[in-house]
Amino acid sequence: MKKLFSLIRACMSSDMALFRVKSKNKSKFSSFVPILLAGYIMFIIWSGANSFLEKLAPMNLGYLILATATMGISLMTIIEGIYKSGPLLFNCKDDQLLLSLPIKRRTVLFVRILKLYIFELLYNSMFLLPVMVAYIRWGNVNPTYYLTCIIMLLLLPIIPIAISCVIGAITSGISSKFKFKNAVQIILSMIILVGVMYLSFKVEDVFNYLLANAESINDFITRRYYPAGVFSKLVVDFNVKELLIFVAINIIVMVFTVLVLGKFYFRINSGLKNISTSKTHTKVKDLKFKARSQTSSLIKKEFNTFFKTPVFIINAGFALVLFIVLAVVAAIKFDGVVAFLIDEENGFGLANDLIYNNLSVIIFAFLSFGTFMTSITSSVISLEGRNISILKSLPIKTKTILMSKIYAALLITTPALLVGDLIMFIRFRTNILEALLLIVLSILMPLISHFIGIIINLKYPKLEWETPAEAVKQSTSSFIAVMLGMVVLIIVVGIAFALLGKVLPIIVLLIATGVSGLINLILYLYLTKKSVKDFDSLSL
Amino acid sequence: MIEIKKVTKKYGDNKALDEVSFTVEDGDIFAFIGHNGAGKTTLIKSIVGIHDFDEGDILIDGMSIKEKPVECKKLMAFVPDNPETYEHMKAIDYINFICDMYDVDSKTREENIKKYSTLFGMEDKLNDTIDSYSHGMKQKVVLISALAHDPKILIMDEPFVGLDPKAVFDIKEVLNEMVKEGKIVFYSTHILDVAEKLCSRVAIIKQGKIVKSGSMKEIKGDKSLENVFMELEG
Repeated sequence: MKKLFSLIRACMSSDMALFRVKSKNKSKFSSFVPILLAGYIMFIIWSGANSFLEKLAPMNLGYLILATATMGISLMTIIEGIYKSGPLLFNCKDDQLLLSLPIKRRTVLFVRILKLYIFELLYNSMFLLPVMVAYIRWGNVNPTYYLTCIIMLLLLPIIPIAISCVIGAITSGISSKFKFKNAVQIILSMIILVGVMYLSFKVEDVFNYLLANAESINDFITRRYYPAGVFSKLVVDFNVKELLIFVAINIIVMVFTVLVLGKFYFRINSGLKNISTSKTHTKVKDLKFKARSQTSSLIKKEFNTFFKTPVFIINAGFALVLFIVLAVVAAIKFDGVVAFLIDEENGFGLANDLIYNNLSVIIFAFLSFGTFMTSITSSVISLEGRNISILKSLPIKTKTILMSKIYAALLITTPALLVGDLIMFIRFRTNILEALLLIVLSILMPLISHFIGIIINLKYPKLEWETPAEAVKQSTSSFIAVMLGMVVLIIVVGIAFALLGKVLPIIVLLIATGVSGLINLILYLYLTKKSVKDFDSLSL
Repeated sequence: MIEIKKVTKKYGDNKALDEVSFTVEDGDIFAFIGHNGAGKTTLIKSIVGIHDFDEGDILIDGMSIKEKPVECKKLMAFVPDNPETYEHMKAIDYINFICDMYDVDSKTREENIKKYSTLFGMEDKLNDTIDSYSHGMKQKVVLISALAHDPKILIMDEPFVGLDPKAVFDIKEVLNEMVKEGKIVFYSTHILDVAEKLCSRVAIIKQGKIVKSGSMKEIKGDKSLENVFMELEG
């Protein structure tokens, strides 16, 4: 047990610095930004939960909000886990050290799963805690409610993590058999993620139907997702036996996952480490010695990092793939999109005419989704890791380094956004002027996202990590970028929809183009003046 | 010429470098020695512009690394103690990347890469990704990339660690060639007998302060460098 605690402490040492600002130019404000942002998100969730409870509580259905939140957060944990579990569990930098120590391999696996659990526990708490607090006001809670909530908070991440770890192990196991391991892992993960998203949409359809039939809801939740069912049961009618069974089931799931994955852990890990080298060596005379400009060579390096880091490509690519999928869905099933936009309860409550007269603004809203739901550059500095010293020792201006990262990100996002644009232009017969403005916005809006990402990453760099997944998915920088992206998305879409019917769609697009251009200019000036100093002061 | 002028670097209240001053002339092979944690790597990283420092200045051919970092770095190549590279790249891509950063034309880089890869026995392995290499092979890739742009000043931190005896011999030959052309080689090492035979000048650092600096003959006199070092450490 002493060994296990020592191992946990050593492995968690860099994660404990999650909210530590590692920049010489840090200000007290920078240290509080993640906490303020988390607090703001929790306040929004609390307010939203209150407004739902206002309607549900009089019908004695207030507990439904807890069950719904449990289902939602569990689905989010599974999706997050699919991204992260493979790279966090396998092929880590500290494999050589840990696997040579006199400890069981499954202990190493357990500690890595524990790291994932603790991170997801923090995320889950940020979303669930406000809902639990909101319920106190509307439900007749007694002391057992608090006990239930604490146990639920601690145990709810376990089943989703177990599911995602098994999926991560399967994708890693399959890809370890192939020569192009990364490509196989990326394709498999993308297929699974799109599949999970599809299922979640289907679940939402069923759920919406059942919401209209309140009597079936409890059965539905209990049948569909056991932890959500137990949670609502315990809140309504606390039962020690039920609680103990739930605790036992979670412990069994965790132990079973560690034991089963532990059987294959070493084999998968070894398979992933088998790096193929060319059997027929290339003669030096056959090598290419083409000279490039500094910027193009730096961009090429960024592409290399992007395409050789599966978690990076899945993280960045997923929102872009989803944007194209949504564009195709919007093109094929536009009636469904219109129904959603008209829906007053769950959608935007827009009038039918308003939608058809402002289709280019609807495309703009889709574009905003594709842009702000992903942040490629929020981890590009962290991903340099210890190699940051290579860049710092080279005769390149810091501005050139940072701008190359922006250009590379732009070259990744723009083609995908343009494909989505084109599909929607054809389907909605967008006029040329509006299409041109949307194309310009397909460059200007991601540019904002890329500037913000790199500025945040320079404020909150995480240069010491055991696996790239820690830099991409488990860092303060990526947390702030994702949350900020959501806030920006809500503001942009909110303003655009608020202007619907009041001004012509072309005016909305012109305003968006002008404002985007101005924001980019401000961010460029900030990057070249302030962020350059942040980069220069980076050290390990 | 490298001029280190009263350079001080603090980590909190600890002084990693305490008013360090010395000069490295053109044509010198300069050994920088000291025990672990004495401040060797901190000074080397300050010279090549990786670390900032709190006081003093470092001049490279009369230019301050603080004021003109890009111009100074153009004259230098750095070989770190741990071969840090972009491991997912092919070695040839990594070397080409470094050459691009130094604006080396295609012809010059081809000549130099061929020359040094052949010398280090890496000529038929450059098309493999670096993560498939051993520590020594990675170190050779870093050395090839450092030499490929024909630097005026070569700065190395423990360059011989992990290299096979032939590679060590070949590097010593390369270093001798460089100083004959009036270039500077500045390196930190713990291998004192190699430093004694190879270097014209030496500085010994202890707890962030230079305790001895000068020509090899002045410093060691009739003793061996190892004896001088041990006396200072004692």
